[in-house]
Amino acid sequence: MIIRLLPIAAALSLAVAASPAAATGKIRCDAPQKQWKSMARLQADLTKQGWQVRKAKLDGGCYEVYGTDPQGNRVEAYFHPVSFKKLLVSRRGEVLFRAK
Amino acid sequence: MNSLPTSKMILWAVLAVPAAVTVHRYATVPDIWPGDLLLPTGEWSARLIIFALMLTPLGQLFPTSRAVNWLIRHRRAFGVAAFGYAVLHLIFYVLDMESVAAMLAEIGAPGIWTGWLALLCLVPLALTSNDAAMRRLRGGWKRVQRLAYPAAILTLLHWVLVHDGMATALVHFAPLLLLQALRLARLFNRNFTQRKTI
Repeated sequence: MIIRLLPIAAALSLAVAASPAAATGKIRCDAPQKQWKSMARLQADLTKQGWQVRKAKLDGGCYEVYGTDPQGNRVEAYFHPVSFKKLLVSRRGEVLFRAK
Repeated sequence: MNSLPTSKMILWAVLAVPAAVTVHRYATVPDIWPGDLLLPTGEWSARLIIFALMLTPLGQLFPTSRAVNWLIRHRRAFGVAAFGYAVLHLIFYVLDMESVAAMLAEIGAPGIWTGWLALLCLVPLALTSNDAAMRRLRGGWKRVQRLAYPAAILTLLHWVLVHDGMATALVHFAPLLLLQALRLARLFNRNFTQRKTI
């Protein structure tokens, strides 16, 4: 029985490995796209606040930023695309901040 | 100089392909960050550790399979390659973090220290993966090589903690967990029947 399960497990591994890295499901923002402010503006704002932004992308309708926060932590942070409110900051999977 | 058997050289070449692809990507893709290559190198290291550890239970299940026996004879290549990918993973991490201070600052994060410990477990394994060490250590060699198990567990923890969602990690480890469970079940069964017959 278990021997018959092995190919299934292998096929499953391949399916998961091949699926595109879409929304991570960690967080969601549901603002209408028309109201979004630009990602470049968020990056500029953050830089002014002492962040070093390496990369920014969209995840679950929120702006996701990779970089160094003003305290010097290498983090991954989520911001609301309209209000630019900081929603979630995590360092290597460890949550440092979560908006109430 | 004695030449390596062809099958061994082909295996090494195959195992080096993902590394070549990764380094090529790093050298040629514009705007790529070292951090972008953490995932593929870490995944290959984990896959190879898993694969190397699957060989013993596979051998018990299929003792007459030529393919399995060939793989078991070449297990060292998989283990050493796993270490190689772990080192590549570390190199991209160091390049990404840029400073020792930055690395020390986050060493307490569970997703990070589990990775460091997994790598530390692999160092003695890699250092003793040669015939001379096997001869020198005799019975102790096997004990050193058993570090592969804590290395695998720490790798799983590191992956689950540092990555978004644990699905990929668990799916990768599922075949190994299944085989080890089967191995334990058979061991338990054998002991049980032995006790009954005595």
